[in-house]
Amino acid sequence: MEYWKDENEPIKAFVKLFEAAMVDAELTGGLKKVNQLILFDYTEDGPNCSFWVDCRKGELKVGPGKPAEPPDMTMSLSADDAHRSWSNKLNPVMAITRKKIRVKGSATGLLKLAPKLKKVAAIYVTVLKDLGWEDKILA
Amino acid sequence: MNGNTGKIINVDLGKGSIETELLPEEYYTKYIGGSGLAAKLFWERGNISADPLSPEAMLIFMNGPFAGLKLSGASRNSVAGRSPLTGNWGDSSCGGYFAPELRYAGYDGIIIKGKAEKPSMLLIEDEKINILPAPEYWGKGTEEVNKAIKNKYGKNYRVLVIGPAGENLVKYSIILNEGHHAFGRAGFGAVMGSKNLKAIVVKAAGKNMNLADPEKYEELRAELNPKIKEALASDVMRENGTAANLEGGVVSGDVPIRNFTSNYWEEMGQELNGGILTEKYLTKRRVCAYCSIACKRVVEVKEGPFAIPEGPGPEYETITALGSLIGSMDLAAVCKASRVCNDIGIDTISAGGTIAWAMEAFEKGDITENETGGIKLLWGDMATVIDKILPDIAARKGKLGILLSEGSLAAALKTGKDSVNYTVQCKGLEVPMHDPRGGGHGLALAYAVSPRGACHVASPMLFMEMGACFYPEIGFEYELEPMTDENKAETAVIAVALGAIENSACFCQFADREIAIPEWVGLFNSVAGYNWDASDMMKAGTRVFYLKRLINYLFGRTAKDDALTPRMLEPARDGEPEGVFINFEGMKNKFYELMDMDTVKGIPSIKKLEEYGMGVEAKRVWRET
Ligand code: SF4
Repeated sequence: MEYWKDENEPIKAFVKLFEAAMVDAELTGGLKKVNQLILFDYTEDGPNCSFWVDCRKGELKVGPGKPAEPPDMTMSLSADDAHRSWSNKLNPVMAITRKKIRVKGSATGLLKLAPKLKKVAAIYVTVLKDLGWEDKILA
Repeated sequence: MNGNTGKIINVDLGKGSIETELLPEEYYTKYIGGSGLAAKLFWERGNISADPLSPEAMLIFMNGPFAGLKLSGASRNSVAGRSPLTGNWGDSSCGGYFAPELRYAGYDGIIIKGKAEKPSMLLIEDEKINILPAPEYWGKGTEEVNKAIKNKYGKNYRVLVIGPAGENLVKYSIILNEGHHAFGRAGFGAVMGSKNLKAIVVKAAGKNMNLADPEKYEELRAELNPKIKEALASDVMRENGTAANLEGGVVSGDVPIRNFTSNYWEEMGQELNGGILTEKYLTKRRVCAYCSIACKRVVEVKEGPFAIPEGPGPEYETITALGSLIGSMDLAAVCKASRVCNDIGIDTISAGGTIAWAMEAFEKGDITENETGGIKLLWGDMATVIDKILPDIAARKGKLGILLSEGSLAAALKTGKDSVNYTVQCKGLEVPMHDPRGGGHGLALAYAVSPRGACHVASPMLFMEMGACFYPEIGFEYELEPMTDENKAETAVIAVALGAIENSACFCQFADREIAIPEWVGLFNSVAGYNWDASDMMKAGTRVFYLKRLINYLFGRTAKDDALTPRMLEPARDGEPEGVFINFEGMKNKFYELMDMDTVKGIPSIKKLEEYGMGVEAKRVWRET
C-alpha cells in the first residue's frame, strides 16, 4: 500500500469519516434516504480491511469489518484507491470502467449513494487532520 | 455482399416510381452505413439548393451493417438529409424495430424524393413495394395511426409514422416507430410531411442474412451480449432508465435549469430522477430490437391533473427538456407533456428548448402578451404548456404557436432585441440536456463542431470526459478533468471519428460503451468482411465526419458557424461550475489545427482530404482556389 502502514489505518480513517458525516444533519438525512446496507470492501489489502455503512430503517450506523447481514451493495477496491477517491483524486466512473472499482448489488442504491459520497468526501481532509495524518493529505 | 444487403430502394413520390438499386461495395468500406453512407449518397445525388421541404429534397433512411444481427444496441436506423430546422446537414438515429425488418426484407436503405399528390404511405413487403393512398390517417396522432396500421396489416408490420406536426411542417417534427421510438432531431418528420408521406411500413417474410465469417461473428456475439447486459451502466439504466443518474447530474451541474440560467436545483434532482419515475409511474420496461439493456420506460399516471393511461414514458432528455429546462419538477406533468409530444410528433428537446427560450423572453419583456396572443408564459406552468402551447405548435395555430413552430433561433431572430443571445442552440439545433459548463468543457467543443449542430450523440465526448471510455488501442488511455480544456481538442479528434463510426454503424451509445476497439474491428470484419484494422476503422470514421463538414460547406456553413451562443459560454451562476470559464476558442483552434481544417472555410485541406481518399470531394469544395 502506498498510503497506509497497515490494513487498520484506512478503516480507522474511513469509519471516522462517516462518524464525522453523521454530525451533519443534512448529510445524515441524505444518507438515510439511500436505505441500503453497504459494504466497502478493501480486502485485497488485508482480510480485515473493510467497513460497512447501514442506512436502512431511518438509521445510520457505521462499523469496521463485515456486516452481520448480507449487504445490499458491495464496493470493492484497493485501500489506496479508496484514499484517492475520498480525496477527490480518483474519478469513480473511470475507476469502474477500468475495473479498479467493482460494484455488486443494487444499482439503484449506487445511484442514490454517489451524490452523497461526494459530500462525505468534502470533510475527508478535516478527518485526516483530526487523526494527525496531515502527511496523507493529497495535494 | 456480406453483412449489408447492398440494396436500397429509390422512391419518387411525385412520379409514383419505385426502383431498387445495388450500391458499390466501396461505398460501404469508405462510409460504413447509417448516417455516413447517407451522407455519401446525399453528396452525390442531393440537390444542394433545394429547400428541405420542397419535393426535390432527399429523405434518406439507412441501416448500419449490424441491423437484425441479434446484438444488443446494434439494430438502429438513421434518417438523414437537409434539416428543415437548421438548413444544414441533419441526421437522426432511432432504435425500435424498423431497422431489422428493413434488413430482413432485403434492403439497407430507402431514398425518397418528390411529393405525393395526396396523403400516402409506403408499404414494403420484401420485393413488393407500393405507394398507397392514406387519407384516412392524415390529421391523426401517431398513436392512433400506429395502432390502425397494425390492426390493418398485422402487429409485426413495423411502422414509421409522423404526427400532425409533421403534416403541418413544424420544423422540429419527429418520425416515430412503433409509437415509442423516435427519429427525434433535426425535423425529418416535416420532410415526410412535405412529401405527403404519413407512414412507412415494412414486413419481411424471412430473416436471411449473409455474413463474411458467421462463426467468428457468433463467437463475438456470445461474448458481447452478456458483457453489455451485465455492465453496471446497463443495470442502472434497466432499473431506472436513462434518467437514473439525473440527481448526480444536478450535483455536477450538468442538468440545465430554466433555459440554462442555473446549474443547481437540488429538489428538482430528487423529484425528476429515474428512480422516482420507477417508483411512482413505471409499469413496464421496453427494449429496442435485440437489446438486453431495456432502458425504455412504459408509464401510467393514475390520477391528478396530469393523469395518462399506460404508454410510452419519457427518457432523460425529455424529462429534463420538459421539466427543469422550463422550470418544472412535476414528473407527472413531464410524463404527460412527453406523451403529447409523441402523439403530435415533435422533438421534446427542441420543443423544451424553444419554450424555455420563450419563457425567458416573456420574463424579460422581449415578448409580451401581444406576441403570444394573450398567453402568459411562466416558468413551470405545465398546464399551459400541455393544454395550449404544444397543441398550438403542432397545429401552427395562434401567434405563439406559429412563432415557436420554427424553433428557438428563428423565433429569436423574428423577436429581435438581444434574444438570440439567450437561445441555447448551435447551428440552429437546440442544445441537448447536458450543460458543458457542468458536464464537461469538451462537450462545448463537441456541440460546436458537430455537423448537425448541438448534439450529444454525434460523438462520445460526454462519456469520455466522464471516464466511461477506455480505448488504449487508439490512444485514449488518459484521464480527463471535465471542468478544464486540457486535452479536450486531442480527445475530440478521436471522439468525432468514434461518433461517426457509431452513427454509421447505427449502434446505440449506451450499449457500445462496452465494446473495445478490437471487438469493433472484429464485428466489421466478421459481419461485412471489411478486412480492417483499428486504423482503417478510425479513418473511415474521420472520413464520414469530414464529408458531413463538406456538405455543410456547400450549404454555406463555415468555421464561424462552429459557435455557441453567449448563454452557453457565460460562466455558470451557481452550482458546482459556478464562475468557471470555458476556453472555447482555445479548444476550437487546437481542434482545427489537429484536424487540418481551414479556419475560415471550416473544411479540411486538400492534402488532408486526399490522405483520406477524398480527392474528388476536395476538388468540388476547393475548386475556386
Ligand atoms: S440501450 Fe435503450 S435506447 Fe439503446 S438500444 Fe437498448 S433499449 Fe434501445
